[in-house]
Amino acid sequence: MNIGRGCVIAGMLMILHAGLGSAHHRANLRLSELPYDGLPVDITAQCVIGFVIACFGISKVAGEFKDISATNDLNRKTLDSITNVPSFYHFAHRGRSIHSIIYS
Amino acid sequence: MLRDPETVHPLDECKTWPEIRDKLRLWRKENVRCSDQIVELGEYALKHYQTNLGREKWAVFEQVCVAALDLCPAKMKLVNTCIKELAEQFPSSLRVSMLEGLKYEYLKKWDDALEMYEDMIEYEPTFPAPYKRKVAILKAQNKISDAVNDLNRYLNTFSCDHESWLELSDIYISNQNYKQALFCVEELLLQYPHNHLYHQRYADILFTIGGKDNLELSCKYYCKAAELNPGNVRALFGIQLASSTLSSIGKLSSKAKSDNQSLAAWASDMIEDFYKSQKTSKNLIIEVAGVLDKLSLK
Repeated sequence: MNIGRGCVIAGMLMILHAGLGSAHHRANLRLSELPYDGLPVDITAQCVIGFVIACFGISKVAGEFKDISATNDLNRKTLDSITNVPSFYHFAHRGRSIHSIIYS
Repeated sequence: MLRDPETVHPLDECKTWPEIRDKLRLWRKENVRCSDQIVELGEYALKHYQTNLGREKWAVFEQVCVAALDLCPAKMKLVNTCIKELAEQFPSSLRVSMLEGLKYEYLKKWDDALEMYEDMIEYEPTFPAPYKRKVAILKAQNKISDAVNDLNRYLNTFSCDHESWLELSDIYISNQNYKQALFCVEELLLQYPHNHLYHQRYADILFTIGGKDNLELSCKYYCKAAELNPGNVRALFGIQLASSTLSSIGKLSSKAKSDNQSLAAWASDMIEDFYKSQKTSKNLIIEVAGVLDKLSLK
């Protein structure tokens, strides 16, 4: 979890830094009156690497991955839990008498 | 509270906070009705970890409230606190008023509960829960045929509600109306073709009705269930029983007979393999082999 959070923050900072770097680059060009022909490679690379690191971090932070096969989740279900329907619960059952003895 | 040494107590099992949270989540997701354990664990979580729960707290309150109603009258205080907390947080929520209704039902104040549900239906006719509660009230009063009629009328409108189909099939099965129960499970199969338990249930009902055609069909559905989940031992036993019965029926052609025999043999092998892979005791494996021997009709 902590590695993931660290990666997200590092990745975000890298992208932010790349953004600032590119703004700085443009400002420099304007001052030296050179024409603009794309960003330098190092800024582009930093941006991409930051993005990849942030992606990795997010996938760590977001939690466990689910199984890819659709039926795998169902296989763990038992007949007891599948025939138990909460919206039709009623309380006219033996628990009424049993629990008043157990909890007294 | 008396503590039965045989049963597993959730607080002995789950000690750390994430374990408790995951256990409660699992019970919510899987609809397990182990009310005493839910109350024990949920009460503990609400007492000690309320800040950790965050927004999940309200779901736990609801869960504990329904479970505590099962343990009433001893836990009436807990029910009241849960409803109070929830009503304060969500003043005009229908879901919270449902819990009030449940409390009336527990107290057997049927008229109050019904009146409440009628008001809710009038206020929001598309909210399905009060319709279902009305059916549950009829069931609690043991008016089964009225409950069936009501549920059918409800399903005419809300035909995609799989819980209600499940409930209707359950009621039909308990009344031995297997043909109608089959229809309900067919609806479930249409909605969830990947759920092995519905296939198995369909096969169970067909097997119960009996007869050559039904047995053949039930064998197919057991096979489908076993295909979807190879760990479904009940389906494997179903295959074994259905096919060995079929192979002893006189009307079948000799090819069909030998097919059924080999299917039964395959199912027996699968069952034995399953028990061997489960690290069970030697005795159990021998017992299973004995049972299989008795099942195969000679």
